[in-house]
Amino acid sequence: MSSLEAGADDFAFEEAPEHKPLTPATPRELKRLIKYWRSGRATRNVLQAMGDAYVAVFGAAMIGAMVVNVILKAQRTIAQCNSATCLSARAILPWAAFAATVGVALAASRLFGPVLASAAEGFWLLDAPISRAKLLRSRLVGAVLAALLGGAVVGALISALTGSGLIEVLVWAGATGLSAAASVAFAAAQQGIERHRLTHLATYVFGLLALGALFSVVGVAAGWFSLGFLDNVGIELGLIMIAASLLVLVLSAVLAAIRLGQIRRTRLVGGGALVSGVSGAFFALDIGLARDIVVERRAMERGHVRPKRGKGVGLEALIWREWQRLWRFPQPVIVVAGTIVVPYAADALGMSTLTPILAALALFGAMIPLLGGLRVLTRTGGLARCLPFSLARLKLASIAVPGIVAAVWAVATTPAYLGFGDGAVQRPVPEASLMAVATAAAGLLAAVRWTQAKGVDFGAPMVASQAGAFPPGLVTNLFRGFDVCILTTAPMLLGFSPWWSLGIAAIAAAILLNSMDAETLRARQAEQQKQLAAQKKERADAAAATKQRKR
Amino acid sequence: MLLAQELGCNTLLGMAIVVMGAYLGSQSTKGTCLSECYSSVMAQEIGPDPLPKGGRIASMAKRATILKVSGLRRAFGPNTIFEKFSLEVRTGEAIALTGRNGAGKSTLLRCLVGADRADDGSVEVCGNAMTETSPEIRRDVATVIDDLDFFPDLSVVEHLDLLARAHGIAEPDELVDEVLEEVQLVPQSGQLPGTLSSGQRRRLALATAFVRPRKLLILDEPEQRLDTEGVGWLAQRLKSERQKGLAIVFASHEPALVDTVATRIIQLGAARG
Repeated sequence: MSSLEAGADDFAFEEAPEHKPLTPATPRELKRLIKYWRSGRATRNVLQAMGDAYVAVFGAAMIGAMVVNVILKAQRTIAQCNSATCLSARAILPWAAFAATVGVALAASRLFGPVLASAAEGFWLLDAPISRAKLLRSRLVGAVLAALLGGAVVGALISALTGSGLIEVLVWAGATGLSAAASVAFAAAQQGIERHRLTHLATYVFGLLALGALFSVVGVAAGWFSLGFLDNVGIELGLIMIAASLLVLVLSAVLAAIRLGQIRRTRLVGGGALVSGVSGAFFALDIGLARDIVVERRAMERGHVRPKRGKGVGLEALIWREWQRLWRFPQPVIVVAGTIVVPYAADALGMSTLTPILAALALFGAMIPLLGGLRVLTRTGGLARCLPFSLARLKLASIAVPGIVAAVWAVATTPAYLGFGDGAVQRPVPEASLMAVATAAAGLLAAVRWTQAKGVDFGAPMVASQAGAFPPGLVTNLFRGFDVCILTTAPMLLGFSPWWSLGIAAIAAAILLNSMDAETLRARQAEQQKQLAAQKKERADAAAATKQRKR
Repeated sequence: MLLAQELGCNTLLGMAIVVMGAYLGSQSTKGTCLSECYSSVMAQEIGPDPLPKGGRIASMAKRATILKVSGLRRAFGPNTIFEKFSLEVRTGEAIALTGRNGAGKSTLLRCLVGADRADDGSVEVCGNAMTETSPEIRRDVATVIDDLDFFPDLSVVEHLDLLARAHGIAEPDELVDEVLEEVQLVPQSGQLPGTLSSGQRRRLALATAFVRPRKLLILDEPEQRLDTEGVGWLAQRLKSERQKGLAIVFASHEPALVDTVATRIIQLGAARG
């Protein structure tokens, strides 16, 4: 035996272990692991965090209790009302809430997914060899449950506030909640096959139904027609809606669950990015930024338009473009048209005194999407720098078209101020017209103030609080726009002449549109301080020179 | 050399002044001031332009001053970015700002266009004090810096049409088409800005500067996100703009762009140790 052979015997190769395929982790295991890592990095538990913010917790509890109390009181008071207006509101408003909730649920589902994944999940988990359907199932269930809960709260609240009994409140809570959940499940089923046309169509249908329901309230209050049959069949119709919603929910949820594995990563991560962007903006209470993100996303979804030639030169070109953009995206005008019903409804429901503020607030919310041009020109200054006009003129040009829309709104709402419903305050035409104009001005200017809001300056001096330091702008940003609405309509609410409101509106317009905003004032102040410092230095130099000469 | 730059002169005059400055040395009051002025700025002049008849000095005298910067200072807390920075740019001149990251190029450009407020000093454009909101300044100065925004619901070609019309061009179709062709955005002309790639957005930003009348062009790293072909096009376009009499100030890290376009180079900040 050669040494070589001996060696081979002595050191016989061990048989290589058979290569066993690795078992991939299940989605549940991966989620548990991520949860473990996340909780491992936490430095405080929930109780400790709540202890730190006990003022906020007590505040929330107190305000919550007050809100519940107000709702209960209102419910008891309104339940005693037996006029035709109250009865029509009680019968129709829950329907309006039902349709509006479904519309909002569908729109939000289409915008965000409704099934979505964060960028990190998209990178680390969606590429892993695991079942995507299993991974996303909890997301679908979460979205459906959130819609169910949210819808139920809205349904119960509106039903209670119109003075309905407990059973009716429960029925409407169930119907609205289930229909919202069914809408989300339906949108998820459509997401699975990458089709959105039906979801889009359903959103418009339910939006129009909500608007129609609101008009019916006004119509009944004005005595144009009667919907008496609804008074007796409200609960029955509600129960039918519960059954129908449940059916749609089950069918859509099953379809959506089957199609979960087909949703593309881009679509999932896109929704997640939108949520993280919007939530980041909300965290800084920069609601304008949150809206910008949503607007940008919608424009990206549209992607391409048929270019249109401009008209005129100078500012005329800018105004013409605003007009073209409105034709291209007319949805905001429909919303503004929808708010025309608010002063009529408020008057019809016997809230004549509050009509100006309610209408101004509604118009404020509806006008914001019309001020997209102003938002772009004021948020960074980059585009405004390319245009050869002062900021004041640019602002005026940007609000020219929304101003016309607001003027039309004022004309359309004037009859509401003349005295509309039973027992409403009757006013002469000139006063009613002035009130409508002042309310329209309040809504428009509030939207202008909201649109021009800058992000919170975290470099500014902070205010100390129990929950830590925060910049004052963080809180004041929340009230932007609302302040203009309240200030402008206050004289009318207090029974003074609408001329006072118009005067306040004029001052607000001068401040908001004449570039006399806080930023410009700060710049002027800094320039003045610089000049003052230069003058002081000159004087000091001159004094020193004189002193030296004397020596 | 530094003195030459402050006085806004070009090669020949600059050389004479530099010789005088070297002779006078630190005894000269003005020289002492200047050595402080440019504590963090080094300037270098390069490649003379083709001389028109009458020689450089004669042509210099004819050239109008477009941008005049005097004693500009900007600091963030204890960190002084630049101090007592002065510069004069005449028609047909292109100033390239170079230097490492964080040297203050973008900050300086932002101060020049009024997007940032200098702590001290003044900026004048065509004799008007720089105020970002002044219509005259906005008419004369075309800028491409990072804060350019777009209307999310207007297409590429509509943006250019709007800008041209806003600047008084009643029939802008031909000009807009020409610029679109040049920046190679014809296929994207109907797209909304949100759908453009970063390079295409950059091209659109550059197009906004070329589609309108201008006397001064201020660009912050215009080569950013452009492909090689795009950088080549940009260099030739800027060179041609300069030769037609436009004043240009730009920051760049692209040697080919700087070499082709700049008549003067100002290096900001100390070199990396």
